[in-house]
Amino acid sequence: MKIILYRLFLVVFSLGIGALLFVAMIYAGDKSKGPLEDLFVKINSAISGFEKEMITAEDSRASSLKWFSRYRNNVSLLNAPDTVFFGAYDDQTINSFKNIVTLEDSLGFQLPIIQIYSAWGSKVDQNFPLLRAEAIYDLGSVPMITWEPWLDDFDPEEYPFAAKDGNINEGGLKAISQGLFDEYIDNWALDVKEFRHPLFLRFAHEMNDPYRYPWGPQNNSPEEFKAAWNYLADRFDSIGVSNVIWVWSPHPAYPYTDYFPERNVDWIGITALNYGTVAPWSQWWTFDETFSKCYNELSGYNIPFMITEFASLGVGGDRPKWYYDALKSVPEKYPLVHAMLFFHAAKDNTTTYKSLDWTLWNDQPTIEKINEALDTWK
Amino acid sequence: MQNKEGLWEFRSARSISWLQKTGLMTMICVGIFSISNLFDWWFRAENIASLPFFLLLTAIFWWGIIRMVFLWISYLKIRKPTPIKAEEGLKVAIFTTSSPGEPLSMFEKTLEACSNIHYPHTTYLLDDTRDPRFKEVAKKYGAVWLELLDYPGAKAGKINEALKRTDEDFILVLDPDHIPFPNFLDEVLGYFRDAKVGFVQVAQAYYNQYRSFVAKGAAEQTYGFYGPTQMGMNGYNCSVAIGANCTFRREALESIGGHGIGLAEDLITSIRIHAKGWKSVYTPIIVSRGLVPEDFGSFCKQQLKWARGVHEMLFSELPKLWKKLSFFQILSYFSIGSYYATGVMTFLFILIPYLFLWLNWLPAHMNFAEFVLNWLPVALSGVSIYLYVQLWLCHPQQESGLHWRGMFLKFACWPVFLMGFVLSIFNKNIPYIPTAKQSVAGFSLFARPLIIHQIVFISTLIGVVIQRVYWTDEASLALTSMDIWGMVTFAFISYLMTFGGIYAAIKSRKLKIEEPWKGIECNAIVVDNSPLKIIQIRK
Repeated sequence: MKIILYRLFLVVFSLGIGALLFVAMIYAGDKSKGPLEDLFVKINSAISGFEKEMITAEDSRASSLKWFSRYRNNVSLLNAPDTVFFGAYDDQTINSFKNIVTLEDSLGFQLPIIQIYSAWGSKVDQNFPLLRAEAIYDLGSVPMITWEPWLDDFDPEEYPFAAKDGNINEGGLKAISQGLFDEYIDNWALDVKEFRHPLFLRFAHEMNDPYRYPWGPQNNSPEEFKAAWNYLADRFDSIGVSNVIWVWSPHPAYPYTDYFPERNVDWIGITALNYGTVAPWSQWWTFDETFSKCYNELSGYNIPFMITEFASLGVGGDRPKWYYDALKSVPEKYPLVHAMLFFHAAKDNTTTYKSLDWTLWNDQPTIEKINEALDTWK
Repeated sequence: MQNKEGLWEFRSARSISWLQKTGLMTMICVGIFSISNLFDWWFRAENIASLPFFLLLTAIFWWGIIRMVFLWISYLKIRKPTPIKAEEGLKVAIFTTSSPGEPLSMFEKTLEACSNIHYPHTTYLLDDTRDPRFKEVAKKYGAVWLELLDYPGAKAGKINEALKRTDEDFILVLDPDHIPFPNFLDEVLGYFRDAKVGFVQVAQAYYNQYRSFVAKGAAEQTYGFYGPTQMGMNGYNCSVAIGANCTFRREALESIGGHGIGLAEDLITSIRIHAKGWKSVYTPIIVSRGLVPEDFGSFCKQQLKWARGVHEMLFSELPKLWKKLSFFQILSYFSIGSYYATGVMTFLFILIPYLFLWLNWLPAHMNFAEFVLNWLPVALSGVSIYLYVQLWLCHPQQESGLHWRGMFLKFACWPVFLMGFVLSIFNKNIPYIPTAKQSVAGFSLFARPLIIHQIVFISTLIGVVIQRVYWTDEASLALTSMDIWGMVTFAFISYLMTFGGIYAAIKSRKLKIEEPWKGIECNAIVVDNSPLKIIQIRK
């Protein structure tokens, strides 16, 4: 009996010690995950940098964008532009920004700003997209990053407050300015600093739309938004980040004046997407109808404007005309508009049940009209 | 002088204390937890890039892990049988076989050593060399010479015929390259006091491993098996007979109609004896030493023969007999029988990065940091357990270590294993190739696949570089660099592994041909340190 007890004890003992050792290893693993991921990102960035250095094509895109290089390395020049920068977002850029180049070829003019989206969260691809930003810079462009605070995307094991009862998004922006996300923000900011080159940063866009994103007014007050905005900008400042251009980007169809943070706004970004009649809630809006009211109300700040998502579908109206009218009106009617970013998604299913195609390359009449309108600028 | 490394001395593995076993159990617990953790992470939908390809990767990866778990399960019952004194007056025979081409001088040594064995016995030389000198040597050392010509089944055929012509109750089948120690029979016969014991197997140890890289590596591959692995299998009554150095009860052999025939005659005999309900004993002692292949070609030939033979057991014996075997016996024969499937797995493992680099086939989207962190605890427990169980090697001073030569050699043999596997599937024979007793110098044909592998890697690397420089548009360069160079690194690892085999093959060319048994003094073998001897001396 004694022997059985003794052996039983040894079995339980080894199970217990085994479990402890295992937990210790997992704990050490969790702690080293972040640094290890960072290490891999750095290695990756070093390798692609080395490759870039080795493989320098003479007819690179960067060399054809030479006129832009004085802007892309200089935050103050970008903030006081003397021209209109074009740009684009394309949704098929996981392995390559080739689509942007192809779009440039179809349009016949260059798109120096490349927009990408980056969500908050604890996964490795929710860190600052260093590699993508570097790739954009190496192509001769400036990245514009739309930074979306999806606060429920944090692993509760790493961010204990994320497991709190109820909805993390409720009062989420307040949680940001209370410092709960500091670790994440600081890591992000440090990566931005390491990137060194100027970039546009559009944080919590359409914060005044109560139906779309969790950082909207259904969960946060305008004061909480402004506090979070300035908290972020101050935190970036204190870390010594000086290459960020802050793009404040409200939805033009909802009240926005209360959301203007006063400080730390370098550009005003407005989305002008015309869905035509694809959905029951949508109708054909011209660019003017979408944009003029807010332009007039916000131009008093005398800050450059960026059309952050510029596109029209073709259902329910004259697509070439929409682009023509919009572009033709810019120099005279909207002289503060200094950047226009084509929204060029081939499979957009973020707002409707069916996937929408915003691409331009097969629409020769629209491309012609776009160029016709640009000719009137000269 | 000959005993410089302590080779010519009786050795036995340590016995197991409960404290040591607790340590082992603790490590196995950590290992099992780590594997469940890895399992939980591996099988997540987000990791899958292409389902069929992911399943393939999963099969390769988990194949190794499952085999490791089988091994751990056997370690849980690691057991060393208590030495039992042999009954007096048993009738014992030693069978050793000679075939044409085998060196006479080796038989001189073996037969001399047999004549030194203390326990009364009769040594039989089962000869088909048609060389009168063999008869003389047998006579010189008091062995009975049996000329057994033209029996099918090579060694086993001769053994079966000899069984008919003799009447001893216990038969030690001794490979002719093995030099038995004088206490061999004293150490094993005692276990036959249990009337249910059908055979007693002892460790297989070597004396020529110092001769070459291949010999060292080949020996390294066996140390664990003849130490902790078989000891664990013994705990489940599923230790296997591996031919050389196995002592059979005649009744057991007769119950299965004689020694099994085929390339893996020993395993076939072993599984049949188990199926008849006989018990087996494995005792981790060194009471003889023999030869391992010294050159790469002979090693590969030996492996090919075993690979083909072992599958024979797996495909034709195991399905017939499994109803008569215990669960652990099935498990043990299955894992031995599928050892050489490693060849297929290694081939696929090598192929995966090339499929991506050539055809852009990607099996998985895995966060590499997560993979490393989930895999590391499994790897750490695996290595720790591997090193820990070396406590129970038969001759730890000589045998313990990381066994990297063995690993390189095993990797180099994947084409051989694969060939054995394919031959078995199509039921094609390879000719009986006796394991080389003296090394054969020259650059082996078996190194060719390794050279092809190297050429494939180098040309793929050149291809990738050319493609990156001339045919990749700059908009894709940065965003594809991780996948491409990650996979190149993956391919590079297995490329590095080929160097072991190539080094072994190059070294084998310069091997001096000599007879390793030349300087061995049978009379100087030390056996006084055996526990049974010590008891006798005290009395």
